[in-house]
Amino acid sequence: MSTKDDALLKELALEEYKYGFSTDIEMDIAPKGLNEDTVRLISAKKNEPEWLLEWRLKALRHFLQMEMPTWQNFETPEVDFQDISYYAAPKAKPKLNSLDEVDPELLSTFEKLGIPLDEQKVLAGVVAVDAVFDSVSVKTTFREKLKEQGIIFSSFGEAVQEHPELVKQYLGTVVPQTDNVYAALNSAVFSDGSFVYIPKGVRCPMELSTYFRINAENTGQFERTLIIADEGAYVSYLEGCTAPKRDENQMHAAVVELIAHKDAEIKYSTVQNWYPGDKDGNGGIYNFVTKRGICKGDHSKISWTQVETGSAITWKYPGVILKGDHSVGEFYSVALTRNQQVADTGTKMIHLGKNTRSKIISKGISAGVSQNSYRGLVKIGPGADNSRNFTQCDSLLIGDRCGAHTFPYIENRNKTATLEHEATTSKIGEDQLFYLTQRGIDPEKAVGLIVNGYAKEVLNQLPMEFAVEAQKLLAISLEGSVG
Amino acid sequence: MLDEVAADTMITQTSDSLYTQLIKTAGERLSSGTTGSLDEIRKQALERFKAAGFPTVKNEDWKYTNIQPLVNQPYALEAEPISGGAAWEKARIPDLDAYRVVMVNGQYSSELSSDEEIPGLQIMPIEQAFERLCFAKYFTAYADKTDNPFVALNTASFTSGLFIEVGKNTQLQKPIHIIHVAASANPFFSQTRNLYVMGAFAEAEIIESFVTDDAAERSLSNHVTEIMVRENAKLQHYYLQVAGEQSNYLNHTEIHQEKHSLYNNYNCSFPGAAFVRNNINVRLGDSEVESHLYGIALTAGSQLVDNHTIVDHMKPNCESYEWYKNITQDTSTAVFNGKIFVRLDAQKTNAFQQNNNMLIGEKSAVYTKPQLEIFADDVKCSHGCTIGQFDNEALFYLRARGISEAQARILLIHAFAFDVTSRFANDTVRQYVEHLAEEGLQ
Repeated sequence: MSTKDDALLKELALEEYKYGFSTDIEMDIAPKGLNEDTVRLISAKKNEPEWLLEWRLKALRHFLQMEMPTWQNFETPEVDFQDISYYAAPKAKPKLNSLDEVDPELLSTFEKLGIPLDEQKVLAGVVAVDAVFDSVSVKTTFREKLKEQGIIFSSFGEAVQEHPELVKQYLGTVVPQTDNVYAALNSAVFSDGSFVYIPKGVRCPMELSTYFRINAENTGQFERTLIIADEGAYVSYLEGCTAPKRDENQMHAAVVELIAHKDAEIKYSTVQNWYPGDKDGNGGIYNFVTKRGICKGDHSKISWTQVETGSAITWKYPGVILKGDHSVGEFYSVALTRNQQVADTGTKMIHLGKNTRSKIISKGISAGVSQNSYRGLVKIGPGADNSRNFTQCDSLLIGDRCGAHTFPYIENRNKTATLEHEATTSKIGEDQLFYLTQRGIDPEKAVGLIVNGYAKEVLNQLPMEFAVEAQKLLAISLEGSVG
Repeated sequence: MLDEVAADTMITQTSDSLYTQLIKTAGERLSSGTTGSLDEIRKQALERFKAAGFPTVKNEDWKYTNIQPLVNQPYALEAEPISGGAAWEKARIPDLDAYRVVMVNGQYSSELSSDEEIPGLQIMPIEQAFERLCFAKYFTAYADKTDNPFVALNTASFTSGLFIEVGKNTQLQKPIHIIHVAASANPFFSQTRNLYVMGAFAEAEIIESFVTDDAAERSLSNHVTEIMVRENAKLQHYYLQVAGEQSNYLNHTEIHQEKHSLYNNYNCSFPGAAFVRNNINVRLGDSEVESHLYGIALTAGSQLVDNHTIVDHMKPNCESYEWYKNITQDTSTAVFNGKIFVRLDAQKTNAFQQNNNMLIGEKSAVYTKPQLEIFADDVKCSHGCTIGQFDNEALFYLRARGISEAQARILLIHAFAFDVTSRFANDTVRQYVEHLAEEGLQ
């Protein structure tokens, strides 16, 4: 590697995390520790019905019996579950009726992050935002407007109060409490999140978005998102996340469940930019998330798009269960790791219905001494006649100390199914770099250009406003990373 | 209900019995000192096996391959040979002129093997090779570094096997055809250990066939082969699996290559043996090494053929090429697990891997896991994997030209297998394999 590259790599390592500030605000934080009392406390704080408390306790009991998995391609950090506080909320008035009642400190935090919660300031009717600060939802914009069409978009806690029947009907049907260690933990202690219900035949007129912010120290964020698209409905949903710089690692263990009924379509996009830790690997967020959707009805469609640039460790496999005939599952991912970051991510496509189709496009970019793994499962059940899968996972290596790995599991038990999988690993083409620099583009910009081109297939899937943001995010994260 | 419980406990008991039987026999042999100079190595291996036990499907490497039913049956550790012994003829390859080595139940048979003296070539039962220099140097040097419990078991208690040394600068005129015959009148668990050493600049071709005597009882064979390919040596290595239904195989092949060497493996399985598990690990231990792995598995009935391969690029400037094809019929299962490692600083590596499957049987299954683990950046690595079936349009095209459906299918299978068969270095073997593929299709 040339010295120029070295210099650029160094620069890359020093690139600051610009969302690393913390907000000084009065917080209501539960004591550290995990036991039945913690769960009861959270449940009581949220004024939850008895069945939900029982549901949480069942998850907790299960969690306590579970062992940490060992199959992942990184060393799992020792997490002391008793040293985490499971509930943190800004001390505020019990119920917020208007924006004026939101703590101005909080508002300015979101302002700084570029998430205006003031509806007037937002481009009229483009995006509705649910802002989650530590464990609780601060504000959901455009609720009234959405209500006119029967769309429910609220924090999870509010949904439990206002639409308990819907929550009860769907909660845990896609990701059961016993699914995995972190899903069990989340089921026991989840504090808030977003809830979306799109009624029959309604096409959600705007993008729905949740913005997650971890602020408090020594807390974990455990939110739960539940999105239901009834027959013929359509919704596009986006989540974004940031956290302040801290020396300790913090845990983020969310669960997302998507349910698409007949002819419905859900598009779920993530731009994940949790604090990745410093260049020596101190601090950063452990992002251990369980995301799964089910195409319940015929002709339904679920599409996951993720741009992962943050977190010390990213460990998640957004999946789709293709139960309805002719249903479609898609997964588009860009995962960028640098410094000491680790990503072990991919998807699961479970084909059960006839004529189901899935498409997986995964683009990994590793720089520095980071490790980037794609791990995916494509499973064709005996009844999934004529199902079809296409998978492409590419890895780009920047620097000679990083790693790129692929672990695809392909299981087929149906003779009419057709599956394709392809993967490549290479470094940025010298010829491409040369071509661009020769035309007067500096190497840094050239790399950005090449990477954006490389990731284009995925970025194109994002809603327009966010595609721009994601592109910038990639460029910032990559600044100076020529290899 | 009671019966179920009884059946359950019985299964555990017998499972224990093969395990304990093996441990006991190995322990006795060790304490009686009959294994001579290998005592220490065997003791350590036995400890490793004791710690690991027989793998279950919870073990990632055995996820799709359940060996529990297989090891839960009673076996004898001593074979009862069947007289006659003409079964090796089943492995005859038409028009092939080769040095013949016949192994009956893992034992070298001097009367069935050809007894030509070939300058530069040493073939002998492994028991007679313990004192040789290169045996001491390479035995357990690489295979036992893997965590396959069956290798540990084999090291601890193998009873027979084959040692081949192709001397420096020796270029063999004819291939060596090794025929493994399963011919035991009692249920037999065999443990065979082979060590092949290719001297510097040596060139050879080794063809190994697996056959079963019609009168043989069921058998399980735990076969470990270590191959050392020295500098500039070239080895073409064929596995032809044509054994009968009652035979089951656990084959582990560990290859270590030195600078400028070439190793090609052609691994073919055909309808027959109920259970075949191949582990083929190639370590590209120095720079400028080339390795090719080709595989074709045509399965039928309720067969299970599982091919696990590792291509380990340890040094820069190496090239590997791997292509496996599976065709599953009836209720058979094919498993492919291909790992490519590119170690830190193994720059300028070219690694290619491809796995294509035709799933033909109504209830057959294909499980495949092509994986890459790459720790160097200046590399070109790719893998691809497809699962499909007969192309209806192609079938129609052929039938419209008056070709019968059966013939058309044979033609298409030939075309499918062509990527692999066309790479065969030996034309006679290629024709033989194409013929077996034709026969294996129903």
